[in-house]
Amino acid sequence: MTEYRVCVIGGWCGNRMVMVAEHLEGVLSNAGLPSRVTTHSVWDNYTRPPAADLILQLLPAFTQSETGCPVLTIKPMIVDIYHQETIERILNQVRADYPA
Amino acid sequence: MSHPVYLDYCATTPIHPDVRTAMLVALESVFGNPSSMHWAGRQAAELVRGARQQVAEGIGCAPEEVIFTSGATEADNLALFGTFHRYAPAHAHLITTTVEHHAVLHPAERLAQQGYAVTFVPVDGAGRVDPEAIRKAMRKETRLISVMLVNNEVGAIQPVADIGRLAREAGILMHTDAVQGIGLPELQFDALNVDLLSLSAHKIYGPKGIGALVVRQGTELQALICGGAQERALRPGTENVPGIVGLGAAMQLVRQHCQEQHPRLQALRATLVERLQQTIPGVIINGPAAEVAPHVLSVSFPGADGEMMLIRLNGAGFAVSLGSACTSQSIEPSHVLTAMGLPRELVDGTLRISLGYPTTQADLDALLAVLPEIVSRAIL
Repeated sequence: MTEYRVCVIGGWCGNRMVMVAEHLEGVLSNAGLPSRVTTHSVWDNYTRPPAADLILQLLPAFTQSETGCPVLTIKPMIVDIYHQETIERILNQVRADYPA
Repeated sequence: MSHPVYLDYCATTPIHPDVRTAMLVALESVFGNPSSMHWAGRQAAELVRGARQQVAEGIGCAPEEVIFTSGATEADNLALFGTFHRYAPAHAHLITTTVEHHAVLHPAERLAQQGYAVTFVPVDGAGRVDPEAIRKAMRKETRLISVMLVNNEVGAIQPVADIGRLAREAGILMHTDAVQGIGLPELQFDALNVDLLSLSAHKIYGPKGIGALVVRQGTELQALICGGAQERALRPGTENVPGIVGLGAAMQLVRQHCQEQHPRLQALRATLVERLQQTIPGVIINGPAAEVAPHVLSVSFPGADGEMMLIRLNGAGFAVSLGSACTSQSIEPSHVLTAMGLPRELVDGTLRISLGYPTTQADLDALLAVLPEIVSRAIL
């Protein structure tokens, strides 16, 4: 089975980006959608998006035309990593794209 | 990156060549301890004396009223703790505002934890405090009022002289953090009606790690540390001679140039505001229209993400700052903008652009050339 790659894009607040990524890895695993969740700080590189199947952005760094994969804004998770509406959107996107 | 443009002078300023030259004397030739009686000590003491004179002349106080500290944060701490630790908590009340620098807010919160009464007076939508609100907050046990001269995030000039007059009539000490106001042409210690005034060198083209608290003669304070008689025993420890020399030179520099720089910066700021409003629809300028320092501009871009704008501006060579700050757990909105009533989404889309003596119209033209696209790309 092909590994599904999710990348959480964040900025200066690296702690938050890592916390969100770790939380989402657990959420996806619990939903039966185990995925490889990585992080990418745009302070390190904002011109070239990382390779991924789904990009989740804490800030508006890249557009879908730049990434070549679906891009979701997850800004509410800066304040609340359990933000239900955002998590539902992520799960719906992953379910739609997840390799069979 | 094209040639870098620094527009964060509220955060810090580069050391001016004249300041550097003055400091080099203290670093290379004069190494004595100012407390030593021999020739080496006397050379150092003479440099400190000269710098104290420069600071005093710069703000119109007596030289013996200048107490050198490690910076404005220490000066603010000395003003607040030095006043309140002379009293039992039940008998002392502090008045300050919701938009002070953390160097005042955090000591005020600590005093509250220690049992002292503290009133945080709110500000209006432009970030200014109403002297009448301060008057209403006064109690018979109020010992100190602390109100900053110029707000470091939005540039609002507070009515410190009016508040100081009220304080004096009521027999209450008055402190102002004047860090961002040293370049105001009319700045004079006596005219402000304050008893305590904090200042910092690195905001006025001097070095980091040095500042001062101006303490009006007759004002009693308790030192934060003990271990020597330096600085009238209010700040014991061997003096930071190169830093002190740098502060003196920086103060002299700013006071010499403020008459010409103030209107120049005012004109630059006004042009920047006008062109921002022309080129980027919906921008909001935070702070007062008048009574605002000419070197500070806080601007909100509705719907845009401040950090993404900052990143792209940084990539294009521009240094500005944000209306929010990263803490260990989250990104916290500016307490100043929040106190002014800005909603979180506007705070998150706010940049502070601060100008300095080296800033030119060409710098701002370059900023305006890239900003509209950067803002549009940062819309969520």
